[in-house]
Amino acid sequence: MSFARPARCLFCSFSRAATPVTRIPRRQFHPATALLNEKPKVPDINASKTQAVNTSQPEKKPELKPEDFKEYTEEEKAALAKEYSKAQMDAVAAGEAAIDPKDLADQFNPRQDPLHFRYLDDFSVIEPVIDRHVRNPQSNTDYNWKPKSEEDFAEDLGKYIADMPDEADNIDFMRFLDEVRVTRGKEENELKPHSALVPELFGPGETVDEPRIEEQKSAFERGEKERSRVAEEMSEGHQNLLMTTGYTSSQAQNIRTKVLVSHSVVNQTRLGKIRRQYCLAVAGNQKGLLGIGESKSDEGTDANIQAKARAIRNMQPVPRYENRTVYGDLTGKVGAVELKLMHRPPGFGLRVQYLIWEMCRAAGIRDLSARVNRSRNPMNTVKATYKALMSQRDPEEIARARGKKIVDVRKVYYANQV
Amino acid sequence: MSLVNLAAVCSHLNNATSVRLGLTSIPNSKMHLKLCLALQNSGYISSVVRGGPTPPPAHPLLGYPAVNNKVDTIEPITRQNIASRRIWLGLKYWQNESVLGKMSMVSKPTRRITMTVSQLRRIVRGEDVEYVGGIRSPGESLYLSTDRGIMEARECIEKMLGGLVLCRVL
Repeated sequence: MSFARPARCLFCSFSRAATPVTRIPRRQFHPATALLNEKPKVPDINASKTQAVNTSQPEKKPELKPEDFKEYTEEEKAALAKEYSKAQMDAVAAGEAAIDPKDLADQFNPRQDPLHFRYLDDFSVIEPVIDRHVRNPQSNTDYNWKPKSEEDFAEDLGKYIADMPDEADNIDFMRFLDEVRVTRGKEENELKPHSALVPELFGPGETVDEPRIEEQKSAFERGEKERSRVAEEMSEGHQNLLMTTGYTSSQAQNIRTKVLVSHSVVNQTRLGKIRRQYCLAVAGNQKGLLGIGESKSDEGTDANIQAKARAIRNMQPVPRYENRTVYGDLTGKVGAVELKLMHRPPGFGLRVQYLIWEMCRAAGIRDLSARVNRSRNPMNTVKATYKALMSQRDPEEIARARGKKIVDVRKVYYANQV
Repeated sequence: MSLVNLAAVCSHLNNATSVRLGLTSIPNSKMHLKLCLALQNSGYISSVVRGGPTPPPAHPLLGYPAVNNKVDTIEPITRQNIASRRIWLGLKYWQNESVLGKMSMVSKPTRRITMTVSQLRRIVRGEDVEYVGGIRSPGESLYLSTDRGIMEARECIEKMLGGLVLCRVL
């Protein structure tokens, strides 16, 4: 749900300070943690009581005091004198004398103000993106560069042959080929050119999720000859799936898949019965994506793998209210299975039958109850549940269709923190 | 106050929206008119106009019949033509779906159900009361006939009114 601020005239904003009328108070929809952590202005009489109750707050570390910073003892000075020269020792002593222990105590204490950093860092390293981009200097640029001619290359080769050591081998020649330059002009212009573009953060094939791509590669990908059976298996179905869906292997591992229905089916031909295995699987990322996949195969394991892969490929977003339950009561009907999914309050849990439970777990729905009426065929139950979950209507869309405004009262009451 | 006719109206509106009609008509009666105005107030239908057996002229800008049509004025209702009047309703659609969902009767001609304010409160919170299901889906409404006209269940609670439960719109 969107909580747009009321539209105001642009020109009104210039004269706002002059207007004596108080503006309409608006509720802040952001969690104001910085203010919540502040101490109350008036000391609380019941502070001792509340402190006893409120044990969840992290304990503060004892603050450093100026007395904690003492001068070097004679033994320490003797130990230092072994490492440092007389002049250096004098400099250490001068530095010690120059800095007030009170300042040291102030600086070493962790910051408590609202703007303090929420992480530990000594800020000694420039982080690209966070601090600034690290680029090659502009002075590397040479506007007079020219590509080398054939004669230049011949000259380079001649120089290499002239300077060649007595026992030169292939490695020396390869090194020469690597090091030989292809342009004339400044060396940095060719090797480390300055660019106004944002520098590359990652190496080729590297992502935020998988910074160490080399280690995560399978044996097959690394081109190792002795492949394990697991790697072999992954190269067929799994690799194909990753190609079509665009998921990385770690993302695919986090997808929850489960075969819910599996039975053999028979095709009667004039030559006899042909048995095959049927599988129905569900897949979900537990964050609102859900898919079902069906497959048939002569082999049971084959059907399992195919059904799971198809379920992952078919994953679609399921609308979730507060990321825990569904919007309104839903009905689904496939064949003779008629079911009803009912939204429930937080903490209710999944009080549903096992097939719907598995689907809700995969989709990330946590509060739900359901009734399955008439038939309870497992295959049709799964399909009807999927249909029901997909038939949800967005309240925002309903409000737009009816020309009404809508506000989620729970969201406002809990300051957008539900 | 015939609930038989009201049931026919509910079915007719369900049929009309399922075949995506833009304009439809229902028999004229005071109860039908009040219910339609309540539906229009809730945003389920776009227009309510009393016209003759043929559809009234469309508004040049809106595209559906409207009472404030200055170009082709709607025929005024007189004692002579009142018997032939019908209520013409403009139906709304949004993103290939009908805005007016499924209408179903709650009271039946043989079994009228009345609700007090305290019972209505429970219904609006989603509880079932005396075989009347709670309002548990987004965009669901329940219409009641009270002594101050036909209105939505939540409006009844605001005005502290109970009444006869007519129909439910999902």
